[in-house]
Amino acid sequence: MLLRRAGKGDEDAFALLYRRHQGALYRFALRMSGNAWAAEEIVQDVFMTLMRDPKKYDAARGTLGGFLYGVTRNRVLKHLERLPREVSLEEKTENGAAAGIVLQDASTPAVQAEKRERVELVWAAVLDLPAEFREAVVLCELEERSYEEAAQMIGCPIGTIRSRLHRGRALLMARLEMLRDAPRRAGLTRKAGAAK
Amino acid sequence: MTCDEFEAIGLDAERDASLTETQRAEAAAHVASCTRCSALRVSWEAARIELRSLAVATAGMNAPARVEMRLRQQFGTQYNTPRVRRTAVVAAWALAAAAVVVGAVSWVNWRNSQRANLTDKSNSPVANPGTAEQNAAPDSPTLMADNELSDFTFLPGVLPTDTDDATILEVRIQRGALGALGLPVNEDRAAEWIQVDLLVGNDGLPQAVRLPNEMRE
Repeated sequence: MLLRRAGKGDEDAFALLYRRHQGALYRFALRMSGNAWAAEEIVQDVFMTLMRDPKKYDAARGTLGGFLYGVTRNRVLKHLERLPREVSLEEKTENGAAAGIVLQDASTPAVQAEKRERVELVWAAVLDLPAEFREAVVLCELEERSYEEAAQMIGCPIGTIRSRLHRGRALLMARLEMLRDAPRRAGLTRKAGAAK
Repeated sequence: MTCDEFEAIGLDAERDASLTETQRAEAAAHVASCTRCSALRVSWEAARIELRSLAVATAGMNAPARVEMRLRQQFGTQYNTPRVRRTAVVAAWALAAAAVVVGAVSWVNWRNSQRANLTDKSNSPVANPGTAEQNAAPDSPTLMADNELSDFTFLPGVLPTDTDDATILEVRIQRGALGALGLPVNEDRAAEWIQVDLLVGNDGLPQAVRLPNEMRE
């Protein structure tokens, strides 16, 4: 209904449509790319596509959200192909948080900084996964979608999702172990150097 | 259930709706008896907690407001520009049509007024029945630019002061008609056509006449 109105030139309907879907699409693009600029461009591109050719969406084939997610996914994968292994968590936002990470608790700045650092480590580990494993982890672990939903969104059997998750988890755990140990090892090395 | 099977399907058995109750029970039994898989599960739970913290930290993020602004701008360009162009074209055609209609109406009015003027002018010399104008030639009289009144002969009963707003008409009449204006007429040449200037008042009645030079002489 909103899309039909938007297709006839109703700007408010289009804006409503955008507001309804942009959050989920942006978060997916951001979690997949780790790059706020890329996520922004991708979301904009997705809605530009919808604006230019609303007939591309066929209601008989699924929901508009699913369609938009599909377009976003394609854009994200293209982006990842162009910039493989890009991890840009160093990007700082206006309040200094990396890639827009916001920790909503009332703890002290030191604790917040420690938490933020840990979140960044986890995100770096997620971004280090190959795209197909990362997608399964993002959908099932970060967005908490069921295996069926994830399979439907990606367009693959549940077994594929399970398999990707299994391999993604293994890689993720190994990576997290490595990232956790790295500062510890660095600290030990510094102490040993100081003792000498 | 083997360790590999547990790693593949048992680690997340509670969430995987596609697993049967038997498979879930087997996974639970295996993890209870296998220290390696039990440690793996603990490790995964820890990783999962960290994933949850990442999910929470990024949960409230939305595309910046400038994206909506850009999209609205693009929307306006895409939909409003053709609409404005269409409106302009329609307005231009409407204006052109209105101009044609106004032109046509003006022309018709002008034609009608021209006809009415001609009728009035051709009728005005004969407005006074029984005067010389009744014998005027079919040629329509014309307005004269010459305002000189000294050569005019005032008709009986007309005062010179009454001629302020009078109009000079050049008419062709038969000499005989001059008699009706109180002027002497040569009976032999009464049928001749002559051109005289008539001074016609606002009431449409002739007030003075100017004869051709040869007659005055």
